[in-house]
Amino acid sequence: MPDRVKAILAVVIIVFVGAAAASFILFRPKDKPDKDSGEHEYIEIVQDGEVIERIDLLTAEDRVFRIESGGGWNEVTIKDGIISITDADCPDHTCVKTGELRSEYVPIVCLPHKLLIRFAE
Amino acid sequence: MKTKRLAELSMLTAAALIIFIVELRFPDILPIPGVKLGLANIITVFAVYRFSGREVLLMVLTRVTLGAVFSSNFSALIYSLAGALLCLAGMLLLRRLIPIGYLWLCSIIGAVLHNTGQMAVAVLVMRSMAVAVYYPILIVSGCIAGAFTGICAQLILKRLMPDKKS
Repeated sequence: MPDRVKAILAVVIIVFVGAAAASFILFRPKDKPDKDSGEHEYIEIVQDGEVIERIDLLTAEDRVFRIESGGGWNEVTIKDGIISITDADCPDHTCVKTGELRSEYVPIVCLPHKLLIRFAE
Repeated sequence: MKTKRLAELSMLTAAALIIFIVELRFPDILPIPGVKLGLANIITVFAVYRFSGREVLLMVLTRVTLGAVFSSNFSALIYSLAGALLCLAGMLLLRRLIPIGYLWLCSIIGAVLHNTGQMAVAVLVMRSMAVAVYYPILIVSGCIAGAFTGICAQLILKRLMPDKKS
């Protein structure tokens, strides 16, 4: 193997290992505050770059609602203090497959409808 | 363009499209936008080492556009286009540095660049950096998918250009 190829391979391996470590940290589920602790656990629903709704998951009642966006919709479910997108009319359904919002850093994303649900800072 | 070359390019584009459409039927590996094997890239990597930059560009543009038509998923077109073009640009540069025998390495970097292009568009479209947290996992999946497609391309190369397998 020529030195040039070895060097490129080394860079690729370093990037791979770094990215693997970063994803491991980013995807770890967040600790959920105790319901009676009086703390808040805000999430934000962002559409097209703007926060359209802010919900405290610890006090939110169980409900199912739709968010309309540019000819499409996403059905959001809040149950037992956990939020997820349960249905959508987009072609890929990635947001539904993502499941519940767990990680502090990783949002639920619907690319076709420019919709994003994440924990507020 | 010579007729023979044109025919060869068309055949490869058709093959890439078929692979692309078959792959649409595969269940998602991870529920993350952008994570997929990208088997059609086998043809692109191979073509990068076989044809001129202009010819591969034609091929990739045709495949991506027709791919959007056949999958009727036009909202994904801008992502595939950005990914495919960045991937192609990177691999065309790398083919000067990486000999054909290490084509799999070129494929890995190409796949990561593909994910990078998609990520950049996603950040622009969503107007939020929040989606960028998916980037590390896309790099990991890109490396794995790229290695796989690269090895496949290497096998094709051995069959089609036995004198160049080195």
